Amino acid sequence: MSIHEPTTPTTDPATDAPAVPAEDWSDDLFVEGADWESLPDAIGEDTLTINMGPQHPSTHGVLRLVLDLQGEEVLRLTPVIGYLHTGIEKNAEFRTWTQGTTFFTRMDYLAPLHNELAYCLGIERLLDVEAPERAQAVRLILTEFNRIASHLVWLATGGMELGAVSMMIYGFREREHILDLFESQSGLRMNHAYIRPGGLAADVTDDFVERCEALLRYLPGRMREYEQLLMKNPIWNDRLRGVGIIDRDTALAHGVTGPVLRAAGEPFDLRKSAPYCNVEQYDFDVPTDVGADSWARFTVRLEEMRQSMRIIRQVLDDFPTGPVMVDDKQIAWPSQQALGADGIGNDPAYIQHIMGESMEALINHFKLVTQGFTVPAGQVYSAVESPRGELGYRITSTGTNKPYRVHVREPSFVNLQAADVMSRGLTVSDVIVVVASLDPVMGGVDR
Amino acid sequence: MATTEQLTAYLAGAFDELVTDVAFGELTVHVPAERLLEVLAWAKDDDLVDAELLSDVSGVHWPAGEHVVERQTSTTGWPDYRTSREQGVIEVLYVLRSIRAGHHLSLAVQTPDDDPRVPSSTAVYPQAAMFHEREVHDMFGVDFTGHPDQRRILMPDDWVGHPHRKDYPLGGVDIPYKNDKTIPPPNERDLREVVR
Repeated sequence: MSIHEPTTPTTDPATDAPAVPAEDWSDDLFVEGADWESLPDAIGEDTLTINMGPQHPSTHGVLRLVLDLQGEEVLRLTPVIGYLHTGIEKNAEFRTWTQGTTFFTRMDYLAPLHNELAYCLGIERLLDVEAPERAQAVRLILTEFNRIASHLVWLATGGMELGAVSMMIYGFREREHILDLFESQSGLRMNHAYIRPGGLAADVTDDFVERCEALLRYLPGRMREYEQLLMKNPIWNDRLRGVGIIDRDTALAHGVTGPVLRAAGEPFDLRKSAPYCNVEQYDFDVPTDVGADSWARFTVRLEEMRQSMRIIRQVLDDFPTGPVMVDDKQIAWPSQQALGADGIGNDPAYIQHIMGESMEALINHFKLVTQGFTVPAGQVYSAVESPRGELGYRITSTGTNKPYRVHVREPSFVNLQAADVMSRGLTVSDVIVVVASLDPVMGGVDR
Repeated sequence: MATTEQLTAYLAGAFDELVTDVAFGELTVHVPAERLLEVLAWAKDDDLVDAELLSDVSGVHWPAGEHVVERQTSTTGWPDYRTSREQGVIEVLYVLRSIRAGHHLSLAVQTPDDDPRVPSSTAVYPQAAMFHEREVHDMFGVDFTGHPDQRRILMPDDWVGHPHRKDYPLGGVDIPYKNDKTIPPPNERDLREVVR
């Protein structure tokens, strides 16, 4: 007897009503989301509603897509998100301003430095301070490298999802070289908490410029390899060209920014329209395309990596010297670090100063580290151009040592709204292409 | 690109009764809830404001009680200005961005926190506002009247409460120390406490 046949009578003989099975085993066998009943609207007789995810390998993490299908044609796509919600915004309300960087860097884990930068730029506007020139230069170099690293992961995972598995290996290999640079400066491959309100956690190492230049020599050749690998690859062409078209006006109506909007021909880039970190001093182009399809997004991202390298090249040519933290002892993070002979990062002269010479310096150090600084009351919206689009931080301060509220406008979260309109009329296999070309990072979507 | 001053003057000319507020180089327009859709539609279609993109919708909860409200410029010392609020409010903030001109401005709508109700901006931005308003609904319990699909988005569907409200507990457990002593979890510490 099959397990699908109930073992109890289907009707109650006394009332002739359907009887409840004596032992309801269905709950043990089938797990349903609580919202499942409300999701599939009956579009027609022949529609089929299926779940893609939340653990499908091609859904970029725990993204669940509910697809209404007619045959293999997608009638409607409903993204269901929240599986990775970690309450970072709420947590940050109970930590000091500086500790906030440690949280926000974990949101969009492929662009951690952009998160830190947008958050710190917002705090700096509230504080009315500006990080020194050298800190701004380092911030710009690292965020642009971060953009390259993020686009490399996009190429790698996108390639893997479309069957170009070798691209996955190459993309992650090159990204690892960039992460090595981050690790050499911040101590961590990802989730750095390196950009701090007022500047940087520590100055860059002596070989920083050399390391960056080595990367700039290494990457262009590799990128030519990817182009040779993919540009004329018939499978790559067939799967990307003409798939997931979203024109400029539709993209804007859905709030889409970043490479997806630029691939639709709109040269909107916050580095041009609202420059930060002195980026307006450097020459770079905003690549656009008129294709508005997944192929256009591919070429736009490739060109963006080149433009990022162009910016880094110019910053390195005139790399400023000087401090990397504001000269305000009320704000500046007091740790003075220099790698000692014992391998520990404390500066002996600074330790001597706070422990042996100045009681006030010691008090200041401990008050800043344990309680943090206060930020004047007010509200700002600070936005930077992350690899996925406009990354905005709406920061509310009430004048205490903790944020009153920080809300993040995450480009992945907003861009995902457009997945529906981009997938309609396509097949299930093209949904993978659409989601890949949107490049959502679930850490950022769910926060 | 219109500067903040130009935008402020222009808005004051178009809607003389709205309160505009320029702080930290940003323009915020305080709009009564019943006029929100009118202002949004005007901002979207106006040639100078040209707010093609609804960048962001977020919320801030200001519960009843004592608050620090005034701006102060010094980072030293501690805030002196406090006010008490009899009616708690939820402030819903919209960021409107012009793609062509490159500027942005914010709209702020206040609604009482015991019955938060704001007309849905999906009437003006039918697709862009969907996720944003669902998030604010999820986190603050704001009822966006007219939103076609107002469900929770980040929290589970059967979740009780709205986590970003200030009266929502943070949770946590007592942290044990030696001699059977504990420090209270964060939700039992005073939210408005200023560490001195």
